Amino acid sequence: MIWQFIVNGIITGMIYGVVALGFALVYNTTRIFHIAYAAIYMVAPYLLMFSMQSLGLPLFVSILLAVLGTILIGYAVDILIYSPLAKRNSSSNVIMVSSIGAMIIIINVVAIIFGNETKIVNPGVSQSITIGKILVTYTQVFQFVTALFLFLLFFIFLKFSRFGIITRAYRDDEKLASVLGTNIPAIKRLLFILSSAFAAVGSCLIAYDVGMNPYVGMPMLLNAVVALIIGGVGRFEAPVLGGVLIGVLQSLVVYFSSARWQDAVTFLLLILFLLLRPQGILGEKMRTV
Amino acid sequence: MDYVIHLFILINIYIILTTSTNLLVGTVNMLSLGQAAFYGIGAYLSVLALLSFNWPLFPSLLFAMVGTGLISFLISYPSIRLKGDYFVLATLGFQLIVYTILYNWVSVTRGPYGITGIPSPKLFGSIEIAGLWPFLILSTVLTIMVVVIFYNLIHSPFGRALRGVRDDELSMKALGKNVNRLKIYTFAISSAFIAVSGFLYATYVSYIDPTSFNLDESIFILSALIVGGLGNIRGPVIGALFVIILPEALRFMGLPDNVAANLRQIIYGLALILLMRYRPQGIAGTYAIK
Repeated sequence: MIWQFIVNGIITGMIYGVVALGFALVYNTTRIFHIAYAAIYMVAPYLLMFSMQSLGLPLFVSILLAVLGTILIGYAVDILIYSPLAKRNSSSNVIMVSSIGAMIIIINVVAIIFGNETKIVNPGVSQSITIGKILVTYTQVFQFVTALFLFLLFFIFLKFSRFGIITRAYRDDEKLASVLGTNIPAIKRLLFILSSAFAAVGSCLIAYDVGMNPYVGMPMLLNAVVALIIGGVGRFEAPVLGGVLIGVLQSLVVYFSSARWQDAVTFLLLILFLLLRPQGILGEKMRTV
Repeated sequence: MDYVIHLFILINIYIILTTSTNLLVGTVNMLSLGQAAFYGIGAYLSVLALLSFNWPLFPSLLFAMVGTGLISFLISYPSIRLKGDYFVLATLGFQLIVYTILYNWVSVTRGPYGITGIPSPKLFGSIEIAGLWPFLILSTVLTIMVVVIFYNLIHSPFGRALRGVRDDELSMKALGKNVNRLKIYTFAISSAFIAVSGFLYATYVSYIDPTSFNLDESIFILSALIVGGLGNIRGPVIGALFVIILPEALRFMGLPDNVAANLRQIIYGLALILLMRYRPQGIAGTYAIK
């Protein structure tokens, strides 16, 4: 029985990892605390639903449209809000407050268009297979495979492509990277695009299983941030590790007590890490404080 | 007329919230997303004193303030050494933990069912403060007291030391000030006074449940403060007026209720973005957050 919970936890954790990786792409490099990411995450399944149910397009075309639409919104947030602030060297708190503003606007626009209530993308119960004593639904298999595929693709690119090398250089030292002729604004835009794409995929994977409402973004963002911090800010493997850890931990909390205490345990873990090991498990020296 | 009095009571509650938060955010530059947690702790402690101990007004109020101030050490002591985003995250974590406890510890807080039948506070054990007018007077008196206290605090040597920490922490250390202790005190003072609005809210509405003290409320308090302005007394007061009166102004536009609520939020969001871009010190503040 406990293995069933661990497997569920790992699969949920993988999706946390996908979302956290998207957040880390922006945070590790630009140091923007991208709270609007919560709203960007939430938009994707609405686009998916709109495309499937109102336009009547097939699932895979709809996913593509949802990801593209989400990218567009993430891009807009960067162009309209972060870039002008970055130009005048605004502090991290100013950027964070603007980001909160952007999040509030996006959430409420979606709430006005689609309503405040929970929507279901995929009605019906997913079929399942049993491996040994463990029951896995097809949706879970799909979630697991997609997440794994994304991680492999991303880390191969990060390691070997020119984009990956520049991204790591940007993370290590923005000034030095730009002195050496990197087009920082261009790479930044690319990172925002990629980040929104990760949010969209993670979000659609979850919403396909359990549906969504305009307020699902914040809890997920918080999970992603905790995953990033306990994994270790600065490394791109960290959010994946942190995500899986949190997924398993939350699942075990459900097993041993009840789902009510999931959040409390997660944030207790965050505070413990902030206190005792702020650099996270994979602990790399941080660029600033 | 009753409705106008109701609005004034709400404005008073929010003035206390924003003014206390201003000490933290505007004078020391500690951006906190955990203010609603202290608001909630203050409210629940007040209820504990009024309902379970059956205490009169001032002992209950004092109990809530001291209790909340002491609880603030739990979060301030570990988190003050964190900087920037990490500090905000620690307060955010605290906010969510407090909310989860209030929501799930059903045997003590009655969780999502909330606590009903909170008695009206009794002045000197006999004069009961119930109804709109007495409450307006009580809340106004308390608000004026809080504002005067904070005005004096900001202009005292203590306030100057806090501004010193905000503007140049290293120099303050070099001058021999114990920066961490100053920050912990600020946290305690700010949360103790937030407990006053918790007390007012709990006794005025006579019903509390955890959803009034969630992360959205924290963001709302912070937005109200930032819109109004940081660093002085005018700013927070204007912020509280803005967030309470704006929805009333929108009411006259004749929008359907559900759209009006979302539209109001959109206006707050837009205000935050525009202010951060063009006027980071807020409408009437003296200090631009950094």
